[in-house]
Amino acid sequence: MVQLLKIEWLKIKNYTAFIVISLFFVLGIVAANYMVYSFKKNIIDKADPIGLISSTSPYDFANVWQTTSYVSGCLLMLPGLIIIMLVTNEFTFKTHRQNIIDGWSRNQFIQVKLVMALIVAFVSTVLVVLTALIFGFALGSTFGVNHIEALGFFFLKALTYNLIAVLIGVLVRKTGFAIGIFFVYTCLENFISLLLEMLAIKIKTNYNVDTGNLGDYLPMNAADGLLYFPKTSLSKITSGLLPTDYMYLVLAFTIAYIFIFIYWSKNRMETTDL
Amino acid sequence: MSIVEVKNLHKTYGKVQALKGVNFSVPKGSVFGILGPNGSGKTTLLGIISDILKATQGSYTLFNQTPTATQRKQIGTFLETPNFYHYLSAVKNLEIAAAIKQRGTNDIDNVLEIVNLTQRKNSPFSTYSLGMKQRLAIASCLLGNPDVLILDEPTNGLDPVGIAEIRELIKKLHQQGKTIIMASHMLDEVEKVCTHVAILKKGDLVVTGNVDEIMANEDIVEISSDNDAALQKAVASIIGCSMHKNNGNTIQLFYPIGTANLTAINQHFFNQGVVLNHLVVKKKSLETKFFELTN
Repeated sequence: MVQLLKIEWLKIKNYTAFIVISLFFVLGIVAANYMVYSFKKNIIDKADPIGLISSTSPYDFANVWQTTSYVSGCLLMLPGLIIIMLVTNEFTFKTHRQNIIDGWSRNQFIQVKLVMALIVAFVSTVLVVLTALIFGFALGSTFGVNHIEALGFFFLKALTYNLIAVLIGVLVRKTGFAIGIFFVYTCLENFISLLLEMLAIKIKTNYNVDTGNLGDYLPMNAADGLLYFPKTSLSKITSGLLPTDYMYLVLAFTIAYIFIFIYWSKNRMETTDL
Repeated sequence: MSIVEVKNLHKTYGKVQALKGVNFSVPKGSVFGILGPNGSGKTTLLGIISDILKATQGSYTLFNQTPTATQRKQIGTFLETPNFYHYLSAVKNLEIAAAIKQRGTNDIDNVLEIVNLTQRKNSPFSTYSLGMKQRLAIASCLLGNPDVLILDEPTNGLDPVGIAEIRELIKKLHQQGKTIIMASHMLDEVEKVCTHVAILKKGDLVVTGNVDEIMANEDIVEISSDNDAALQKAVASIIGCSMHKNNGNTIQLFYPIGTANLTAINQHFFNQGVVLNHLVVKKKSLETKFFELTN
């Protein structure tokens, strides 16, 4: 596998789009978190002196793991974009054929892409750890690991997005089209998820059956649903009306989707004409 | 040992049958030409033995073994189009190919020199002309000095000098004992370099075997004379000739293989009072044979 990854590195190290989007992502994580931080400090704190929305800073070590994971999670389309390009480039240049002609097996070809999805998810998580540490220490709070499991959820979310990107890449093959579908799918899933959430609320109020948030059982939303902005007084008040979050169920769905995406991508590459 | 052996290969794309049960075997050390008109299944066939297409039915072996990726590493293959990373230079592209084939990179300068790309070796692939892309693809096949090469239309897009260079290269590789499998519709090219051929027509294998055996199933003697009328008359009484064909200025006489005797033929016409000004044994061109077989 190390040998395969070295070859993958030869392909991407001189690829400008890869470098540019990676930079955007790194800067984006820092900038987005800073924006949230300054929004809370300068606007919310002034408008909400009694701390209904939040009494402590979201970037205190009590909250920072959860906050940075949640905020950075909104930027995970960017690594997804990188993965889509790494996959569809091969089809555009027909190098997916050449790699196999030259002596890779079809399995090795898809394996290295899946491992790239894993590595990019891992690197994204490391970025979040660094951002959380920087913000936490910069605000002078005492180090703590409250809700550090959010990092794990962030990793799962990043992996889910990247694997969806690999799958769309091998199914669609054309770069522009694949990126389009990736975005359209994201919007569509959010929309459907919203409808399902409303349905869940209806079921809860009418029949007193708590199905959990149905919208969270869709692939991207399952991954999204694991991450929250730190709970505030306000969210505690409203939570009685909303469906319960069955976190372990959502987690199970996320992991199941990950396996489905891996299997589907592999199967596609190993059985079709290239 | 057969380098490649295909057994009963079928391939269908929807309703189109691209290959309909093709069988042949490529002997070691041969230059094996796969011929056929456009759409006859040449590239499909080579695609299957490179594992980028899946056969609908049938099987193949590489080096008498069940095919795996490991065996493909020992074959330099150029299929249909030059496939390279557009944003990378020739050298960087070849580094990737060499790494996949698990060969060293010290060969790269050498293969670029063979195809005359040394001067442009650091330019991005996207800036190359069609001929240069083609040359790079051939360079990639030569990486690591493989014993077997598969070339699909290797002279496509090359200028006449480039075509001649590739022909010389193939001859040289053949002399070194390498096996070369080459698909082409450039019949004169194939005729100049191939030792064996397989001719495909709409997915069927029409004929396969040694070039000389396929071509030479009869002797053709071409004659002409200043006295056309007398020549025509004398032809009618000639013995041993299976048929004759009037081509305007010349007449072609067809004999069963090995039976044309120029001395006897000349004597016959002389006895009839006809003096020939042209008498030659002609080899049937591959082109003629090809049209015969595929029409």
